[in-house]
Amino acid sequence: MYEACPECDLLLKPATPEHGEKAHCSRCGYLLQRPRKHSIERTLALSLAGLILIVPANLLPMVGIKIFGNSRDGTLWSGVSALLKEDMWAVALLVLFSSVLLPLVNLVLAFLISLHLYLQKANVHLIRWMRWLQHLNEWAMLEVYALGIIVACVKLAGMAELRFGFGLYAFIALLIVNAMLSNELDSYLFWRRIAQLSKKS
Amino acid sequence: MKPLNTAQKQGFIRCHDCGNLIKSTTEALCPVCGHSVTARKPHSVKQTIALIISALCLYIPANIFPIMSVTQLGVAKTHTIVGGIAALIHSDMVPIALLVLVASILVPLMKLLGLSLLLLCVHYQWQTNARLFTRLYRVIAFVGRWSMLDIFIISILVALVDLGGVAQVIAGSAATAFAAVVVLTMFAAKSFDPRLIWDHQLSYE
Ligand SMILES: [Zn+2]
Repeated sequence: MYEACPECDLLLKPATPEHGEKAHCSRCGYLLQRPRKHSIERTLALSLAGLILIVPANLLPMVGIKIFGNSRDGTLWSGVSALLKEDMWAVALLVLFSSVLLPLVNLVLAFLISLHLYLQKANVHLIRWMRWLQHLNEWAMLEVYALGIIVACVKLAGMAELRFGFGLYAFIALLIVNAMLSNELDSYLFWRRIAQLSKKS
Repeated sequence: MKPLNTAQKQGFIRCHDCGNLIKSTTEALCPVCGHSVTARKPHSVKQTIALIISALCLYIPANIFPIMSVTQLGVAKTHTIVGGIAALIHSDMVPIALLVLVASILVPLMKLLGLSLLLLCVHYQWQTNARLFTRLYRVIAFVGRWSMLDIFIISILVALVDLGGVAQVIAGSAATAFAAVVVLTMFAAKSFDPRLIWDHQLSYE
């Protein structure tokens, strides 16, 4: 059995790297495999943690400011609603999708897929979910948003008093969980397991 | 040692989604994931060109029109992307200015120029260091999302600074154009198939 490199199409004998090792394409250097210990269990745990954290990160105020005695709190949603109020619906939608909806969808998909793989339960949607997860991954931009918060705070620090709410801490925790999740999810292993499961059923 | 060979030349196709290797002639759909089977991304070059041109067209209004207007104590000031960076430098926030410069100007430009270079390489079948070009493609695909930085900053400022005439930030029309540039260039990077760079390299046969 052979496999092919997705970025240069080189025909390769599948490498069998150990946990923690990496297998690169010998021609273009593409990272082919990066097996992780207990990838399925850890993905399950981390996606569950992310699903819990995303609730306070979305609902609680993250940053509040005080200018001339007037104070205002901002959540993840308030940027979207403020843009909508100014009739910037295209930008509002993009912000909504990349900072709220798609991070949530990705966590739900990662949770559902790893749960089914963990329980060895076949599901007709498993393949579709995995495909969606792969394509939607780059549109969830929590880490870019985090940098945006930092820049906005630095800009505002000169003219207003800043206050950091619990939502911000939940958001930072969510960011860390998300980074660990994408590090632990071994898509090579996931696809192989999904193929095995759908063959059996 | 056996000569290096591509899957396509050996009559195999790698499924775009699940990575399963399929004999080219037998199936129209991948037996594992059901995705339609094509050796390369279909219409990759044409799609990428179309998306780059649309992004270039929108890049002009994104830089000409104001991206936000800031009101402080009754005085309203509008900023373009470049003007916003200049204002940041004036108020001694050089690191932040550099960050916004990279995310809002250098990254979109690098993506548009880089993808054009990749397309030229494919079209004129340049015999070059394909490994280097593939690395360029990876950088383009990776940095794309960071251009959203300015959009996020605006959305946060618009939400927080909203006190009528005293202090207010309003998003400008360039924000929509710039957001479209980011989305279009991300799609352009996604529709380009890096295997096209390798297909015509003779030195790797
Ligand atoms: Zn390769």
